Amino acid sequence: MENTFAISVTVNGTPYQRSVDPRTLLSDFLRYDLGLTGTHVGCEHGVCGACTVLLDGEPVRSCLLFAPQVDGHEILTVEGLGTLDDLHPLQEAFRETHALQCGFCTPGILTTLLPYLEENPNPTEEEIREAISGNLCRCTGYQHIIDAVKLAAENMNP
Amino acid sequence: MTYKVIGKRVKRVEDPRLLTGQALFVGDVTLPDMLHAAFLRSDYAHAKLISIDVNLALEVSGVVAVYTAADMGDAWEPGPPLVSPPPTLENVVFNSRRQVPLVKDKVKHAGEIIAVVVAESRYIAEDAVEEILVEFEPLPVVVDLEKCLEPGSVLVHDDLDTNLAAHLVQNKGDYESARKGADLIINRRFQLDRGAAVAMENRGIVADWNEKNQHLTVWDATQSPIPIRNGLAARLGLTQRQVRVIAPFVGGGFGPKIMMFYAEEMVLPWITMKLGVPIKWIEDRRENFYATTQEREQIHEVEMALSKEGHILGIKQTIIHDTGAFNPYGLTTPLNTQSHSMGAYDVQNYSSEVIVVFTNKTIVTPVRGAGRPQGIYIVERLLDIAARELELDLMEIRRLNFIPPDAFPYEHKIIDQAFVPLILDSGNYEPAFDKALEMLGYEDFIKKEQPRLRAEGKHVGIGIVPFIETTGVGPYEGARVSVEPSGKISAATGVGTQGQSHMTSFAQIIAEHLGVQVTDVNLVTGDTAEFQWGTGTFASRGAVVAGNAVNAAASDVRQKVLKLASKILETPEKELELEDGMVRVVDIPDQSISLGELALLANPLRGAVEPGTEPGLESTKYFGPAFGATAFGVHGMILEVDPETMMIKIRKYITVEDCGTMINPLVVEGQIHGGVSMGIGNAYYEKLHYDENGQLLNANLADYLIPGSTEMPHIDVHHANTPAPNNELGTKGVGEAGAIPVPALFAQALENALHDYELEILETPLSPNRLYELLHKQEDPS
Amino acid sequence: MKVTGEHIFKGTPKQVWDLFRDTDVMAAALPGTKNMEAVGENEYEAVMNVRVGPVAGEFSGTLVLSNEDYPKSYTLTVEGRGKPGFLKGTGDINLIYQGENSTLMEYGGDVQIGGKLAGVGQRLIDTVSKSIISQAFDTLDEVLAERTAAEEEGREAEYRKASEKDYAAAVAKDIVGGFLSAPWMKWLLGVFIVLIIVLILIISLT
Repeated sequence: MENTFAISVTVNGTPYQRSVDPRTLLSDFLRYDLGLTGTHVGCEHGVCGACTVLLDGEPVRSCLLFAPQVDGHEILTVEGLGTLDDLHPLQEAFRETHALQCGFCTPGILTTLLPYLEENPNPTEEEIREAISGNLCRCTGYQHIIDAVKLAAENMNP
Repeated sequence: MTYKVIGKRVKRVEDPRLLTGQALFVGDVTLPDMLHAAFLRSDYAHAKLISIDVNLALEVSGVVAVYTAADMGDAWEPGPPLVSPPPTLENVVFNSRRQVPLVKDKVKHAGEIIAVVVAESRYIAEDAVEEILVEFEPLPVVVDLEKCLEPGSVLVHDDLDTNLAAHLVQNKGDYESARKGADLIINRRFQLDRGAAVAMENRGIVADWNEKNQHLTVWDATQSPIPIRNGLAARLGLTQRQVRVIAPFVGGGFGPKIMMFYAEEMVLPWITMKLGVPIKWIEDRRENFYATTQEREQIHEVEMALSKEGHILGIKQTIIHDTGAFNPYGLTTPLNTQSHSMGAYDVQNYSSEVIVVFTNKTIVTPVRGAGRPQGIYIVERLLDIAARELELDLMEIRRLNFIPPDAFPYEHKIIDQAFVPLILDSGNYEPAFDKALEMLGYEDFIKKEQPRLRAEGKHVGIGIVPFIETTGVGPYEGARVSVEPSGKISAATGVGTQGQSHMTSFAQIIAEHLGVQVTDVNLVTGDTAEFQWGTGTFASRGAVVAGNAVNAAASDVRQKVLKLASKILETPEKELELEDGMVRVVDIPDQSISLGELALLANPLRGAVEPGTEPGLESTKYFGPAFGATAFGVHGMILEVDPETMMIKIRKYITVEDCGTMINPLVVEGQIHGGVSMGIGNAYYEKLHYDENGQLLNANLADYLIPGSTEMPHIDVHHANTPAPNNELGTKGVGEAGAIPVPALFAQALENALHDYELEILETPLSPNRLYELLHKQEDPS
Repeated sequence: MKVTGEHIFKGTPKQVWDLFRDTDVMAAALPGTKNMEAVGENEYEAVMNVRVGPVAGEFSGTLVLSNEDYPKSYTLTVEGRGKPGFLKGTGDINLIYQGENSTLMEYGGDVQIGGKLAGVGQRLIDTVSKSIISQAFDTLDEVLAERTAAEEEGREAEYRKASEKDYAAAVAKDIVGGFLSAPWMKWLLGVFIVLIIVLILIISLT
């Protein structure tokens, strides 16, 4: 590559050093350079929210950022939550309430909700709807997602 | 029958993978030496292709190849006719015109593919696409469903002398005679417009030709991997066993992912065979708006004849259906409209003409609902209008006309997508309807709540709409169930999964028969190497057709298990039970053997078996119904309209669904919620705005608005259960149900909310803007 | 779609017409114009950069002039294509002297746009087009005033060429204003395109 940009970034607690084409989108960097394909891309223009990851704890659209912009920062993707055998309480709540169908939008919804629930441990239905209004889901009609968030809030803050 | 696992709210087995980012979607597939494709698509909706110059694109560093139609040589051929008109229909005109891999001479809709660039990365491929020079001669464009049939109209297909894609008439009884005895005749024209399916995952393909093995593997975000495999083998001159198509996790289907072959599905396998390296293409959202199929645009001229008591004496209609530039999917969608235009009602006289037209727009194939929402819209609107004219209660006129429970199986007589005259297998409509009224608090709302709120100046309205959905059509699906020596169960079926929870629902059926945990079942869907017979996931048929095939296979394996266990435990079969992965003698739990041990014994390495014995505890079964199972439902809502902004607030939304036996109520509710969400989009937010030049003016998710969490109400779901009589499980489909009645429901509730404007809604989708225009027109006829 | 508009210039129709025929002036008024050349008696080719929200790229177009009635009216036919899509249109431009050194310019046209510009740029096209129109007329007004002053003072006219930066800043400002006040979903995309056509044509006249 003629014109590359060296970046250091910590993703899900693991430090990475990579050389990238400066125009590489953060979403592509995560998915293809790091192989973290749990972050999905649904619209490439920042509307659907499927590609949401946490940048230093804040939800961002990884399809709207270039990889060099996160140089020196920390990223959390869906792979950084629970594991297959040990789901995060939020993931467990999603499973319990059938809050996902095709599951394509789910990673972005989980990453959106993670910091939200930390700041809002006991949200109302209205507030939950507001919190996920930047994430599109075509399968669930959102109702089971709202059930999941309520359940997660209960389980995470007993 | 009392079930232990079927009918339970079982947590899904597919979820842990999806929740942790470990589920494989096509976009996640990466192979060594893989190249990437990007397509140059036509901006014009109709244009002659004069010349293409790819030289500058080839000079871009990292570009491997650029192909146009000319490069494909003999491999260039249109897609196969996917669905033919029913051979049972008489006097059908059907002009089959199918989509092409790369445009050869003339572009017929915006988004058709002119050239494909193959490069080391998608970034480079897209750069190079911009370097291709194309000379077009733009042609006049035809988009209007009626103007396209006028003499002298621009032609989409120059080898036809018309834009007529198909014509057919279906009659039941004698409408003209019925009309003579009518007290009221209603004539209306309805205009129904286009929407997009908008699965969150766009389409995608990875094609990998292995020269040494002479084998092609294709990962495809399709609803229909087996027919794709069969079609690819035929196109590429391979045997079906040389081609493996995998539809892994698919991020939503909703209909368009069963269209085949998409141009890209024809092009990528051809490229990998030419270059001998894997190639990948993932559709972007903008491509999705132009290249992925759409639905719902129709014009209806309808007449309904009624008695003064409100009995429907007959319906007559002409449907003009827009199929876009090609018609690979035959008549499925307009046939569904035709059969659903009688709704849940006993209509003895029906005359219905379908005119299908070609226009310079994206191809039309079924989208969740598939013509049914249009049919229900028509009949429900007409009943609303009739009730007003006859001064009848909106609910009474429906009750009066319901097909009574003793009339089933009801000969509907209209030939539908199953190719046979439709028979409604079962139903019990009125109790479900009453339940819906009760859930919504209909009486109380009409008598107390609404007058009170209206006195406060609020525009609140109520709506209740019943509907039928034909589901579970053939031809067939199959399944294989096998007990492994580990005691785990492997199973496979041909239908792919796009979120319908097959891995759980089908595992429940297997667990029911074999006495294992749902998590002990490993079910593979959508991989032709695992199961190679079947059609696909469409028409709300997974739980009915594949579900009953799984049921038959699991039941057969159970018989094999019992037979072998009976021999080993020296106990009659009827004294055995399957529980916790074991076969036990009832009441003597110590006398038992595990399924795993039985599986080993059923597949010995040495010794002799009885002649004719099949090895293993495995069975493959198929299910093909003579006709489908017809589901019923009622949706109701109370909404409030702000007459200044036309923004709405849904105060209450209820549904009663009768999909027969439920395998997993949690999953059924999820399907309904999602269907309602798409229905609400169809009714009030989603419309593809094509201009008169065939240009789509809202080809992005910022302008094409699908419902978000703040647009969706809480939905109360009640389950009624009239089991399907013609399949063992008693299941009826429910995948599309949620979307079907919503546009009709919105129209009824909005008219009710805005009763002081005397609004009559004859179109869908609406939007705040459009409703404002309609009201404004109402106030000011000039 | 049909697009119409008008503007009042402080000058005579002849002055306005001459103004339109000055390449330097038009290049200044129309940011992004890269070059313009005559390829026939009444036919021109022009290249300009177009930026509408997320849609940006170079347009190259052909302009054909007809029905010229100096200094009152003409008809313009434009076809342009580029990475952002395509446009095609015909417009009539009338200059009507209203007395007191005042000329009313009326423009009306029928325009088609396609490709990304139509499918993705739609949301911003209304605001961006209004912004470009008002900027262009502002520049033209300034130039006209400077010319009139220079003529009166017997000196050479001097004018400042608006930079792309100024243009972008003004568009951004108008977009923010548009978000606050403009009703959504008005499909007035054509204004922008007609203006481009008009201005490109005008440049081509020089």
